[in-house]
Amino acid sequence: MTGLRVAGRRQAPGPCPRVPDVERVLQRNCVRLAGSPESRPLMFAHGFGCDQQMWRFVVPEFEADHRIVLFDHVGAGRSDLSAYDRERYNSLRGYAADVVEICRALELTDVVFVGHSVSAMIGVLALQAAPDVFGALVMIGPSPRYVDDADYVGGFSRTDIAGLLDVLDANHLGWSAQMAPVIMGTPDRPEQAAELTNSFCRTDPDIIRHFARVTFLSDNRADLATVQVPTLVLQCSDDVIAPEVVGRYVHEHIPGSVFTQLAATGHCPHLSAPEETAAALRAFLTG
Amino acid sequence: MTVTRLQDSGGPDRRLEHLLEDDPADLYENAPMGYFSTLPDGRIVKVNRTFCEWIGRPADQVLGSRFQDLLSMGGRVYYETHLIPLLRMQGAVREIALDLVRADGTDLACLANAVEIRDDDGAPLLMRATVFEATARRRYERGMLAAQRRAEESERRSRTLQMVVSDLAAALSVEDVASVIVERSREPLHARGAALVLVETDPHDPDAAPALQPVRADGLPDQLLRELRHAAGSQLASELARGVRSIVLDDRLRGLQPGLSAAMADGSLTELVVVPVTADGRRLGVLVLALGRGPDDLIDLDRPGGTASLTTADVDLLWTIGRQAGQALERARLHEQTARQAERASFLLEAARLLAGAADVEETVDRLAGLVVHRLADVCMVDLESDEGLIRQAVRHRDPARAALAEQLRTRHLSRRTISHPGVRALQSGGTQWVRTVDDAVLRAVAMDEEHLAVMRALDLTAVVAVPLTGEGRQLGVLTIAADARRGPFTVADVEVAEQLALQLGLVVARAQRFDLAVSTSHALQDNLLPPAPPSLEGLAIAVRYLPATHGIDVGGDFYDVVRLPGEEIGLAVGDVVGHDITAAATMGQLRSVHRALLADGPAPGAVVDRLQAGWPLLGLRRMATALFASLDPVSGRLRIASAGHPPPLLLEAGRARYLPVRPSRMLGAPPSPAVEWTGVLPRGAALVLFTDGLVESRSADIDEGLDRLLAVASAAGTSDPEALCARLLSELTGAQRADDVALLVLTRR
Repeated sequence: MTGLRVAGRRQAPGPCPRVPDVERVLQRNCVRLAGSPESRPLMFAHGFGCDQQMWRFVVPEFEADHRIVLFDHVGAGRSDLSAYDRERYNSLRGYAADVVEICRALELTDVVFVGHSVSAMIGVLALQAAPDVFGALVMIGPSPRYVDDADYVGGFSRTDIAGLLDVLDANHLGWSAQMAPVIMGTPDRPEQAAELTNSFCRTDPDIIRHFARVTFLSDNRADLATVQVPTLVLQCSDDVIAPEVVGRYVHEHIPGSVFTQLAATGHCPHLSAPEETAAALRAFLTG
Repeated sequence: MTVTRLQDSGGPDRRLEHLLEDDPADLYENAPMGYFSTLPDGRIVKVNRTFCEWIGRPADQVLGSRFQDLLSMGGRVYYETHLIPLLRMQGAVREIALDLVRADGTDLACLANAVEIRDDDGAPLLMRATVFEATARRRYERGMLAAQRRAEESERRSRTLQMVVSDLAAALSVEDVASVIVERSREPLHARGAALVLVETDPHDPDAAPALQPVRADGLPDQLLRELRHAAGSQLASELARGVRSIVLDDRLRGLQPGLSAAMADGSLTELVVVPVTADGRRLGVLVLALGRGPDDLIDLDRPGGTASLTTADVDLLWTIGRQAGQALERARLHEQTARQAERASFLLEAARLLAGAADVEETVDRLAGLVVHRLADVCMVDLESDEGLIRQAVRHRDPARAALAEQLRTRHLSRRTISHPGVRALQSGGTQWVRTVDDAVLRAVAMDEEHLAVMRALDLTAVVAVPLTGEGRQLGVLTIAADARRGPFTVADVEVAEQLALQLGLVVARAQRFDLAVSTSHALQDNLLPPAPPSLEGLAIAVRYLPATHGIDVGGDFYDVVRLPGEEIGLAVGDVVGHDITAAATMGQLRSVHRALLADGPAPGAVVDRLQAGWPLLGLRRMATALFASLDPVSGRLRIASAGHPPPLLLEAGRARYLPVRPSRMLGAPPSPAVEWTGVLPRGAALVLFTDGLVESRSADIDEGLDRLLAVASAAGTSDPEALCARLLSELTGAQRADDVALLVLTRR
């Protein structure tokens, strides 16, 4: 991908008191920077099952007037798998802490955090941990709790989640051995094939399973009310993972949030309808 | 080639050709795989018959529905989060495992391959997918995965156990053991908290209900610990006997144990797991693990209220941890006990040196009191009998700031009329008096006047121990120690040390008084070190002899000792410290003191040897020694003997003498080797002869000859009466000139 470069230590004046090792953080999360360095930071966080490449169709729309920050959650993509610590990542707060560390390492402020799927809630928790860093929040297909609970509809029963874990097991049993060579890139873009092969090769089935548990078995409903920055909830049509009722719930529980219904179907509008997604995001940013 | 042959053979080949003329429509519809195409939103626009048959739905129903809606819920999530992104980005996916849901609601495990058809701009137009049934393969894979998970679980458990075992190996104190167990045992069940609670039995009152003492707790609310103790208190034994068990917070528990239930609910705990901590069948306590949910814990995949948290393997693991903990606790306790004994022995040794070196009674008593307040108590007083009644010889206070206050007690000589005074009670009963709690009523009862009362109140005393001083059969006075509020209460061991001190002090005072209070340093040493007369013991006749060597200084390194052990048994010792000089004598005196201190808790003779071996370097003893230690039950005659490099004991029974086959371990002071204990019975009327090598060894004869001669003389003695036998053996075996000193102890059971 042209225009992206691996982030290095930024030679900015002034100390970086809270992050003892900037390089370590940036490498751990495979942080990549693009866009215009002096503009407002736009940080994209991928959801469960993918990595930062998910944003490739949306990012170009914002490179001209934003500083783009892309990263992989630890355990996904090209992140440092050796940094995976079951204790730390036993709660979404561990992932949120990483987000904050990345922002501190890059000395970012007034960040617009764009979180897809589970990362929408990770964004809420990151805001809680470091209110000084973030200026706005965009939640694409968010869900504060996937499992139904009394009157709350999350869309999933416990059996559904157990079934999901089974499917993950079935798909990752021989994943690295069998799937990697099979995932072929389009012949005209061989570098992309290499990227994908690598990223999926390096995904450990145990980590995927654990991330799935943490994603689908967390309950962060109570955290929604803590959000105090302008917030956009982007809701897809026919999203089986985050149904509209859940998106509405998120909207109603974040004071002053904006709810935008997309025509795009499924759970990944930034892949299936990048133009519509980018337009909604643009409207919110210029709003 | 088969095909060629068939073609050549005429008739059937046309049919085959017909078949091989792949009718594309037929191939599509009836291919041995499901085949379908969808729009980018998943809507199925073309599907073959095989697929429809597999999922049990007619084609017109399948067409128009979305592929993801035909999947199980887990499959739909995977489709959205993995399949679609992969397809979008790389154009193809293969061997994706998914479950289709058939019309009848059952799942069909399958593998899907798909390609994305794109327009010239790269935008998706269509997904073409094939589906293979994979039921058997999936079952096989699941079986493998389950087996792998079980193996991992099992490995995880053995790793936990290994860590417990290796950490426990390094744990020397009860506190260390508790810390390892509480930390390590939480992991297998992901317990929120853990506590190790030990059963404490009062050694002075074995019948009292055992107390539960939490040694270490982590992550458990105090209130819960209190409630647990309260709940277990009345039925402790049965609780502990029930093995690893789980106490779930449910309506039944709320009814039976409302306090415990409330404490669990307050701590967001849902279940307690109780693990017995045992060693060799003795129940030492319990490990309590608390399970529950933390604020950031994940939603439980099991239904809420489900109670199947403990698997058999978990129970086995916890049970094993409980036993490991028990054994480690026993080991740590033994270690602590040995350390305490060494500490006690070194204190008594210091006292023995001090007593041996004092010039006169006043100085001895005063220096002893100084040592006591330095090491054992806050206040020490010694009252001695005199012609004018009891005289307070010494009063010392540990804290120099209170020394003047304590000094005011010096003129408060004990009056035998103050019958509630512990000192007076000690004198009258002849036994130790231990006042565990000193309250104002106690002070008022013993105060002579208001001023006396004020002084005692100001001293802030909390506990008092008074031990009578006796020597040579006479009451000599009383040793009193006291603790104030700043110090902890006295322990059983403290009181035993005070008793040992009183014993030594009594001997010194008695001898000093006998020699009219004018005792030289050397005489005090000598007198203190020479073996005392054995106590008179019911059912036993004992005679002892000690003959110094005739060369040089007339004290040597041989000794004997006869001690009443706690319980019915008596302890016997005969020993020989290398050398015949003052150092040998002093070492002998120290060895005897240490031996006496060791006997406080009645160890077996083998243990005496082991502990002396282990403690030798600590005690700073400068010479090696041989010794024989025995314990005898006068009623049953059960006799246990252990030898540290010492000549064997002799048994004379019905005119036949033989050496008992006690296998000697190394000399005391040599590198330790485990002691081997000989156990047998001393028949009534038989004589047990314990001796040192001075009896059997001389310049003219080696020890084997000497042992043979002793055997012959004993067999021919014609008596087993101890006194007569002693006289006979000494007259036959020793002459007027002795190169070595001789200790001889003969004992018979009546």
